[in-house]
Amino acid sequence: MNTDSLRQIRFYPWRSVVLFFITAVVLVYGVIYPNLSVLITSFQRAGAWTLVNYREVLSQWVVIEAIVSSLGLSVGTVLLCAIVGVPLAFLFERFTFPGRRLFAALATLPLVLPPLVGTVAFIFLFGESGILAHGIQNFLALENPPWRLRGWPALLLFHTYTMYPFFYVLTGAGLRRIDASLAEAARSLGASKTVVLRRVVLPQLTPSLLAAALLTFMTSMASFSAPLFFGGDVRVLTLEIFTARQRGDAVMAVTETVVLAIISLGALVFFQRYEGTRKFAAAAMKGAPRRRAIIASGKARVLATVVAVIFAIVLVLPVATLFLVSFAREGSWTTQTLPSDYTLANYQRLFADPFASEVFFNSFTMSAIAAVAALLWSFCVVTFLRRRRFVGRRLVSLLVLIPWALPGTVVAVSVADAYGSPGSLLGSFVLVGTFWILPVVYFLRFMPLVVRALQASMEQLDPTLEEAAGSLGARAWQRFTRVTLPLVWPGAVAGTLLAFVIALGEYVASVLVFVPGNRPISIAIASELRDFNLGAAAAYGVVLIVIISISMMVAGKLERLRS
Amino acid sequence: MRLKLFWLACAILAIALLLSCNSGSGNKNRLLIYTPHGQDLLKDFIARYKQQYPDADVQFLDMGSREVLERVRVERNRPQADLWWGASHTTFQTAAEENLLLEFRPSWTDKIPASSRDANDRWYGTYETPQVIAYNSEEVSEAEAPRDWDDVIDPKWRDKVLIRNPNPSDTMRAIFGAMIWRFYKDTGSPDKGYDWLRKLDANVREYTADGTLLMQKLGRREGLITLWDMPDVRLFKEQKNFPVGYFVPASGTPVIIDGIAIIRGAPNQEEAKRFYEFVTTPESLVYAAHKYYRIPVRTDLDRSQLPAWMNEPFTRLPLDWDLLRKNGSEWLRYWDTEIRGRN
Repeated sequence: MNTDSLRQIRFYPWRSVVLFFITAVVLVYGVIYPNLSVLITSFQRAGAWTLVNYREVLSQWVVIEAIVSSLGLSVGTVLLCAIVGVPLAFLFERFTFPGRRLFAALATLPLVLPPLVGTVAFIFLFGESGILAHGIQNFLALENPPWRLRGWPALLLFHTYTMYPFFYVLTGAGLRRIDASLAEAARSLGASKTVVLRRVVLPQLTPSLLAAALLTFMTSMASFSAPLFFGGDVRVLTLEIFTARQRGDAVMAVTETVVLAIISLGALVFFQRYEGTRKFAAAAMKGAPRRRAIIASGKARVLATVVAVIFAIVLVLPVATLFLVSFAREGSWTTQTLPSDYTLANYQRLFADPFASEVFFNSFTMSAIAAVAALLWSFCVVTFLRRRRFVGRRLVSLLVLIPWALPGTVVAVSVADAYGSPGSLLGSFVLVGTFWILPVVYFLRFMPLVVRALQASMEQLDPTLEEAAGSLGARAWQRFTRVTLPLVWPGAVAGTLLAFVIALGEYVASVLVFVPGNRPISIAIASELRDFNLGAAAAYGVVLIVIISISMMVAGKLERLRS
Repeated sequence: MRLKLFWLACAILAIALLLSCNSGSGNKNRLLIYTPHGQDLLKDFIARYKQQYPDADVQFLDMGSREVLERVRVERNRPQADLWWGASHTTFQTAAEENLLLEFRPSWTDKIPASSRDANDRWYGTYETPQVIAYNSEEVSEAEAPRDWDDVIDPKWRDKVLIRNPNPSDTMRAIFGAMIWRFYKDTGSPDKGYDWLRKLDANVREYTADGTLLMQKLGRREGLITLWDMPDVRLFKEQKNFPVGYFVPASGTPVIIDGIAIIRGAPNQEEAKRFYEFVTTPESLVYAAHKYYRIPVRTDLDRSQLPAWMNEPFTRLPLDWDLLRKNGSEWLRYWDTEIRGRN
């Protein structure tokens, strides 16, 4: 009996129908319907169908320049993030040395830095009048600051810092699922360490690496704050869209958005094709993950620790800067290397404000709703995608990723347009002006993270395991909870946590649709920044980081519960 | 485990449901304001308003004025906000022409110049903001600081000028527009204005993303000269102890009118009108002038009650705002593609 017919026997059709229904409803209501108008607008001029918008957009050399820059920036970001993130994941997953757990926890630190305060911290730290530049300038008695935080180096630095965790987290989760016995078998057959890495470990990691590369690429394509704050004269597509919007050229902005989405989704197709050529026969996981090697030799031990310490310092610096800013007295820190005057006033301002505790509660609740919903939904989509090798499979993976490929502003505007008034869609509902619009937007924007993380885990999973369980009489639910879930749990938790943490700091979409009842943290931070209360903004950032750190510890516990 | 997860999910959903019920609108005297004026000013004025009208439930969402416009557009089919307090008159005029604002004649209609309000009553001016040349007063002495527009493009300030990115900023759009208009009104062409902006670009060290970064960089001497609005510069100098001084350009400066408007289709129009009137009474305007450095537009106020600096005379640069609004985008686009960063 071949596996296909086995599947047909095992899986009851109604279960597939339910999965299909849930998947389809979310995609139709959340992705297709809201974004259809974006697509239509880009193909229309004065009510008629036309390609003239695209011709106009693509005939401007600034747009071409922006496309090339965006692509270059994204490819560069992916490479740099892989160079930083993958070795780190190996270091922390494979070896044990003094302080490993602390450093492993620190490695996810960039995730906790919300973009709004992250850029501020970067400017205070790396900017030309920042701590480092000032320190070096004073130390060497230079006349001018040694560098400026502008242009390509600044962009790549910030992108690498904020996005390498995609590689680190997903590679780490992938390594934890790798079958150690395969590598051992290869070694015992005489394969060298490099051969094992190249032929055994990396192929098993491919899904995780591709998922990370794709997420990094798309995040970088849609990145907005970094080019805005320290891009200098570098033109990227998101900035062009923003500028066109500001000029009131809505059609051009929409057309450029579609171009951006096409590039991002093109990357998805490219990665999927590549993934297809690197398919490996997943081995049966015997539940014996590789043990961490204890680095015994003195020199290597010292080296690993030194590398980890240096890395940790680099990682901690921006967050430490944020702490410093939050304690500095407003207006007192100008030309000194470090603030001369410290105060608790920023925290007093924050804690005296009844709004403050509210915004933390709001953001926490909404992000949690979005993340948990994304987790549950991801299981539907991924299970569905695994079972049905049908023609629409690629299309579904594409549709899932569309919200991630679009700039946040566009997602918010299209959802608000579609659900701003009772619409024509069956069972349509109004979201604008309600508490629910933000959880929905967060869900849509960040569920691709969970889906991709889960998909990567699932692809590493050997389908024969489930089949074996099935042939032993396990029901679908049992197979899921006893076989599949434990194996994909680390990846699922990692993805959900990512979505949760990023949603906590979301700004660009929130600002367009938030209501008094769900004012999120990022809005409070932006208000403080607009009023030049940098210290108060930093204080919000610090409290947010504390909340995120606690959430990560809880998630760590959740992750271990299963494995 | 899966049960735990399930209950966790249920608990979160339940909390959220409760929350969403709480935020439902049942109150008749509810009022929602969109505003870029900052939370300190808003909280202050709402508290004062509630002393007079204790049954009012006033809430505000604070964001930049361009973000307000974007939001009001998004919500045009189901307006959420009642009142839009704060944005330049050019932004309000754009919104008015997109039919987003409601006609309303406040009781002081005839107390402000006709140029400071919409001819069709869709918005009215509240405060005015003259633009100035600001400098870091620790590094630049009063004697050497630029006193007129053309001093700013003097090569001696090369790499010393900070300018806020004009695309999202009404203030900077007005200044750039004014610089082009200075020549346009005589020649009918923007070319000479472009030349001026080219010379400015040569002196610019950085176009900063927002006003906060602009002032921070000025304070930290990354640049020494900038163009910004008078009330903000004063506020930084006096309230935040910033080392900053300013001159009103001798040949005249554009004055932006900051306005107020009721949103078309606002759910609580009566309350909106009441608040509209409340924040534009002479008492409120004088209060805002002292505490928040807002220069009132109303001409019937007792000028002696205002801070002394508001009564210092300065030269205004008359502008054709409609022409600026019409051509501004094209000029800015030219600047963005052909001038920025190329000199």
